Amino acid sequence: MATAGNTPAVDPAKIDAVLDLFQAAGHAQVSPPMLQPANVLLDLIGEDIRRRLYLTQGADGADLCLRPDFTIPVCRHHVAHGDNTLPTGYCYHGPVFRQRPDGLGEIPQMGAESLGRTDVAEADADLLALAIEALSIFGIQDVAIRIGDETIFAAVLAGLGLPVVWQRRLRDLFGETDKLAAAVERMAGGAASDDETRDVRLGFLAALEGADPKAAHAVVEDLLSIAGISAVGGRTPAEIADRFLEQAALTRGTAGHGKAADALKSYLAINTDGANAVSALNVFAAKYDLDLKQPIAAFEQRLGALANKGIDPARLAFAADFGRRLDYYSGFVFEIHGDTGSQDGPLVGGGRYDKLVTLLGAKTDVPAIGFSMWLDRIAARIGG
Amino acid sequence: MSKLVIAVPSKGRLQENTHAFFGRAGLKVTQPGGARNYRGAIKGLQSVEIAFLSASEIARALADGAVHFGITGLDLVDENIADPASAVHIVTPLGFGHADVVIAVPKSWIDVENMADLGDVASDFRNRHGRRLRVATKYVNLTRTFFAKHGIADYRIVESAGATEGAPAAGSAELIVDITSTGSTLQANNLKVLSDGVMLMSQANLVASLNADWSETALSGAREILDRVAAEDAARNVKLVKAAVDDRTQALRAVSNVGAIQRFSESGSTGYVSVLCPKDAVAACAKLLIEEGADTVTVETLDYVFSKDNPLFAPLKEKVGG
Repeated sequence: MATAGNTPAVDPAKIDAVLDLFQAAGHAQVSPPMLQPANVLLDLIGEDIRRRLYLTQGADGADLCLRPDFTIPVCRHHVAHGDNTLPTGYCYHGPVFRQRPDGLGEIPQMGAESLGRTDVAEADADLLALAIEALSIFGIQDVAIRIGDETIFAAVLAGLGLPVVWQRRLRDLFGETDKLAAAVERMAGGAASDDETRDVRLGFLAALEGADPKAAHAVVEDLLSIAGISAVGGRTPAEIADRFLEQAALTRGTAGHGKAADALKSYLAINTDGANAVSALNVFAAKYDLDLKQPIAAFEQRLGALANKGIDPARLAFAADFGRRLDYYSGFVFEIHGDTGSQDGPLVGGGRYDKLVTLLGAKTDVPAIGFSMWLDRIAARIGG
Repeated sequence: MSKLVIAVPSKGRLQENTHAFFGRAGLKVTQPGGARNYRGAIKGLQSVEIAFLSASEIARALADGAVHFGITGLDLVDENIADPASAVHIVTPLGFGHADVVIAVPKSWIDVENMADLGDVASDFRNRHGRRLRVATKYVNLTRTFFAKHGIADYRIVESAGATEGAPAAGSAELIVDITSTGSTLQANNLKVLSDGVMLMSQANLVASLNADWSETALSGAREILDRVAAEDAARNVKLVKAAVDDRTQALRAVSNVGAIQRFSESGSTGYVSVLCPKDAVAACAKLLIEEGADTVTVETLDYVFSKDNPLFAPLKEKVGG
């Protein structure tokens, strides 16, 4: 094969052995369709993925894409065909398709997903342990494991008493270290506006709002309706008024949020191993007087479950700023790398996505966690 | 040996302007068989062939290397070519077809003035309406790149082939990314451009394909065309200023301060100067010459100024390695 000539392949017997391992752990093998509705994936992942999708059209004009990952197709399969008894587990093996500037856009993957387990900490530990065991079948023992947990970040944000706007902005950027740091900087500076007329306008509204928020809201809504503006562009006058006053409130409080920014910077800088993570988090919470008991307890419980599975927390690298910028990922995330200092992508990527199955149409909440193994990188690692 | 193929817009104002551009350079585009023929020529230049293409096809043809030169807007280059820097070379802007690719939102969004506002609305919109904010556009790639630069992820692109500005009123999108030259269409549709929402300032450019087959014939055709274009361009920016002065050497030194240069060494009468002067400095130059003893200063407009070094051709030649 000319195209795959220099791509080392993984021994098929070992892939079978890993699939056996997954099935023995209660993950039934599925083969979701390669062609997926592009709309669903773009909605869930965002437009950023578009340049990496292989897009095509069905005869009925529907936009289709070759699956760029397995998690969404497997969950769609569950919603469409699952017998809805939970918990359940799935595993898979096959190609995913992503445009990339170098190399073939067809990448072999395998992985496992666990849906509906309510013993969350144990499920997290089981899946991470399963990934490590699968790697060892491929002959990879020495690995670097990174973990992160967005729920702690969310609790820090909530506890800092920031305006809702800033909480939303920062939460949206979690997982993009540089952009998040820049936003925290901006927040510390008080989000100064360079538009004077606008400042005047907002200043006026801020005064108005300070006097009586409800009346201010009514005035803005009235003005919009006098102008004959109805729900143009999908937003209602009430919604526009809300945000206009929200901005006014931000302007009024231009003092900035220096202290909150310090706290966030200090949180995002936490970088330690799993054995020391809990104490680092507690020290941080005490220093900034934040109530993080609940997320830290959940974090600790997960570490305990991992220890029970024979994974020493000291082996795990915890980074407070590590997350995945996909909004269906809801908390715990992990990556397994071949070497500690490796610049290549991870061999395994996984995490908790409690919101995804509901977004795909499940009637009830379905807590879920899974991981994917990049067989091309694994093959390169074995070969190298 | 293959001829130099130049893709030009096949209809509309862009075509008229393109013909006018070539006309100024003394090049007449002919279309044997009338407007329905998609191949043409330039009168008197055997090594050049003209391909009449629709504006949107020209960028593609350049990327594929199907044509050597094309006249097209920067917007279409950036939208339709994956890595413009490696596929094409911008020879020169042409001074027509000015238009901006902009982000426009409904005027009623009094809370949205800039991209940061839009980012806030985008993430809030999803919470409120359970779906992403929709952007109608035909500039899918430009939009994605620009939104990513501003850290906005909560949106969806709705591809729109025509009448994009009507999408918000029709309810098929919340905002648009579109090209506009005067803004009047946006105005008429109750849309406003965000203060930092100009994604690209475009105009028509003469663009060279780096993927085309640059044979000797094609390169010499390109040189011939660019010589005339450069000569016309150079002539447009200078005037020929003549006067009789007391001391030529001293006068030349004086006018050199305003950028006027003597291009030919004069023989004969020692008091006679003839200099090429930047258009804007003509009055200043005349004043200096009168101070140097001239009674009369005449200024002439030139048709062409040809030079040995062609600032348009040299960088192209370097890139295509001819």
